[in-house]
Amino acid sequence: MAQIVLKQIEKSFKQDKVIEGLDLTIEDGSFTVLVGPSGCGKSTTLRMIAGLEKETGGEIWIGDQCVNGVEPGKRNVAMVFQNYALYPMMTVKENIEFGLVNRKVPRPERERLVKEITEVVGLAEYLHKKPQALSGGQRQRVALARAMVKSPAVFLMDEPLSNLDAKLRHQMRTELIQLHKRLGATFVFVTHDQVEAMSMGDRIVIMNKGLIQQADGPMKIYDDPDNVFTAQFIGTPPMNVMDRERIQPYLNGQLHDDIGQVGFRPEKATMSLESRPQTGHVHFPAHIMTRETLGAEIIYQLESALGLVSVKSFLKPLESASEVNITVSMQDLYYFDRNGVRARQHERSEARELIVLGGKHS
Amino acid sequence: MARKSILRTLNVTATIVLVAIFAIPFLWMISTSLKSYPETVIFPPKWIPSKVMWSNFQAAWESGPFLKYLMNSVVVSISILLLQFTTIILAAYAFARYSFKGDKLLFGITMVTLMIPGQLIFLPVYLLLSKWGLINNLLALILPFASSAFGIFMLRQSFKQVQEELIEAARLDQTPEWKIILRIMVPMARPTLVTFALFSFIAHWNDYFWPLVMTTSDAARTLPIGISKLREVDGGAAWHILMAGNMILVVPILIVFLFGQRQIIKAFVYSGVK
Amino acid sequence: MTFWSRFRPYVMVAPSIVIFSIFFIYPIFYMIFLSFYNWDFINPVKEFVGFNNFVELFKDSAFLQVLSNSLNYTLLSVSLSIVISLLLAIWLNREGAWYGFVQGALFSPHIVSLVSVSLVWMWLMDPKFGLLNGLLDMVGLPKLEWLSSPDSSLLSLVLVSVWKGVGYNALIFIAGLQSIPKDVYEASALDEANWWRKFYKITLPMLSPTLFFLIIINLISSFQVFETIAIMTNGGPINSTNTLVFYIYEYGFRYFKIGYASAAGVILLVVVGLLTLVYFKLLSRKVHYQ
Repeated sequence: MAQIVLKQIEKSFKQDKVIEGLDLTIEDGSFTVLVGPSGCGKSTTLRMIAGLEKETGGEIWIGDQCVNGVEPGKRNVAMVFQNYALYPMMTVKENIEFGLVNRKVPRPERERLVKEITEVVGLAEYLHKKPQALSGGQRQRVALARAMVKSPAVFLMDEPLSNLDAKLRHQMRTELIQLHKRLGATFVFVTHDQVEAMSMGDRIVIMNKGLIQQADGPMKIYDDPDNVFTAQFIGTPPMNVMDRERIQPYLNGQLHDDIGQVGFRPEKATMSLESRPQTGHVHFPAHIMTRETLGAEIIYQLESALGLVSVKSFLKPLESASEVNITVSMQDLYYFDRNGVRARQHERSEARELIVLGGKHS
Repeated sequence: MARKSILRTLNVTATIVLVAIFAIPFLWMISTSLKSYPETVIFPPKWIPSKVMWSNFQAAWESGPFLKYLMNSVVVSISILLLQFTTIILAAYAFARYSFKGDKLLFGITMVTLMIPGQLIFLPVYLLLSKWGLINNLLALILPFASSAFGIFMLRQSFKQVQEELIEAARLDQTPEWKIILRIMVPMARPTLVTFALFSFIAHWNDYFWPLVMTTSDAARTLPIGISKLREVDGGAAWHILMAGNMILVVPILIVFLFGQRQIIKAFVYSGVK
Repeated sequence: MTFWSRFRPYVMVAPSIVIFSIFFIYPIFYMIFLSFYNWDFINPVKEFVGFNNFVELFKDSAFLQVLSNSLNYTLLSVSLSIVISLLLAIWLNREGAWYGFVQGALFSPHIVSLVSVSLVWMWLMDPKFGLLNGLLDMVGLPKLEWLSSPDSSLLSLVLVSVWKGVGYNALIFIAGLQSIPKDVYEASALDEANWWRKFYKITLPMLSPTLFFLIIINLISSFQVFETIAIMTNGGPINSTNTLVFYIYEYGFRYFKIGYASAAGVILLVVVGLLTLVYFKLLSRKVHYQ
């Protein structure tokens, strides 16, 4: 159980500065997810916490100790790797107790710990088998068991579910969440999948190009993104974001000079056959190009004067016409300045308040 | 921090010593090849000759029919390579893409051959070739190596990795089999073929044992044998001439190695790792 | 299936199979056959003597010496070569132009003709004027006999063989080392494994296929040693560097005792055959494969 603090972390590979000025606090006992596109620095950050990469600047604190020069084995952290990294020529049992043997834990103690762990993870019948004989899911459990048996303060996981098939992935997500509740340790989980991030974390850290875009609870990130990147990273399909010139003609009142882009979520837009402009709403014609019928949801891609737009409808019948009109409430518009940063001050504050108070977020 | 840089300097120094261990014999060879005879028989030995004797090379070259040796080496190595390409491409393709009765047995025979080195069978092969009157004939140096089990093995792997769909598409286009082999399979297996070519050419160019056994006169001898005969020149050890001759053998290979180092190392290592 | 397409595979494999049968398979049987005869090659009549040649072989003290030499040479050169090259591989397994250069330097003896290597070392080891003795003298150590003394001749040959072979072995080890996934080592770092545990529990087991391969390859090729002996020592002094292949060569090509030489060849065949069998047996059982 430990809090992790990253202070002004900097990381360069040769001449390439991939992370600069990173400040992050990971709360003790939280399930924090680092998420972002490939190359955003999330794995590097995780590995620096583990001690597998050396930071080129800044400090890393685990608990009340600065771990900057400390070896990985002595940081009281455990890691589950994307490819599991099981010791191929050892049995499951030997894999799990490898760290304990290195730390000279006496045999009876070791046996007890291994027995406990394998019962929790459900590996009792496989103890004498070697990794090649196991399925992907089983290997993953061994990797988990190996991490857990050390009773670390921090669990680090580097895209551990990426190599599993969809069904297994779903199952493991639930198991990991339950595990977290049970152990109460600090979990730091890296993934590139935003759906996975949203469903698992109680705190999400979105990263892009070595910088933290936003660090918040999932619903706050969804409802109240700090910038265009976050707004478009979370949510399927992504938020519709367009340049001010495109949307200005359809707005009553002039957009403030600061504003560069405006966006709205596909699920907040409604479609109608007739043109029905209303006050306090943006209303514009569009042409449906594709329809994805996913059952409860239907996702439409439309072409309009505002550019390519997605609309998501929920539990509504399929719109078969091709010419429609789209309506979006002004309250559901997000304003971003010319640098892509959210310009909350220009959104009508009362409308904003209404949404924030009424929604669920942690 | 200071400790780290001390370790690093030690490490670099150690690697320099290592390189020296491997370079010194070659350097000494160069040094000797440029000396005059008296300078080779002094003790302690000197590194730099006081007078550079370029004439040593000429003496070495003229001490025997070196042009013939060179020609023979070239003819033998290239002939072997050409024959091997023909035989292994055909056989590897058959083993890789066809199944036919006895294919496992025949492939087994091929693999067994891999385990049979020249030094084991030279005597019976000599007797055989002698019966056919082929001793002291370049054919004796070429024919036994007209195919290569190793080449078939490597190429078969490569051919097997070509996607089935590619060949099926070609077959649907009524492409004759020979065209499939030449226009599709061979180009796709080019890296393997290049690797094999390097391996085979160097091995046969450097071969001393087989030509020694199979030839009895200079007419059919190859370069390595020619160089080794320099030992007998002057009825004593004329090291300066000997090393000069050795240079003729070594330098071309080293130059090729210098330029193609990556590729050559990859070729040999890859073949070893299988 | 047309007639041609059924016939075709056989046509394609035929040239290779014919070559192999004539020049590799048949000679083995021929050699075994000949080992039961006495024949001097010139006389068309062969005299059947049963196992006599083998009996003679084992009565010949020179042959026993040859067997002992072969064994010593093989054991020494293979163990030295493997151990040194493994250590070198672990040390030099790093990225960078310099290490690439060092690896290349290490490998260069392998690609040069064995004849050249033998000649150079023969000169280096010259007792009177060779560089090695010159270097020894320079640091105040006594000069050595190298190839001219029966006590040190075999060792000198071992030295040459190791020098020529470590580069090849080391580079193959390096390739093997690089195929070990890095995250396994990282996991072991988190498990607080020291360098010994990492080596013994991870590196060595994962390197075991490569290790076995190299051991067998080295063993087989060291039993076949010929060039260095033919060029540097001619089997002497006093038979101290006479080994199997050279013995066969001498009896076959110098003394024309074909049957006798064939019998020695059969012994070599048995040795190589056994080694190959051991390799395949061990391969399928003990060795770890991912």
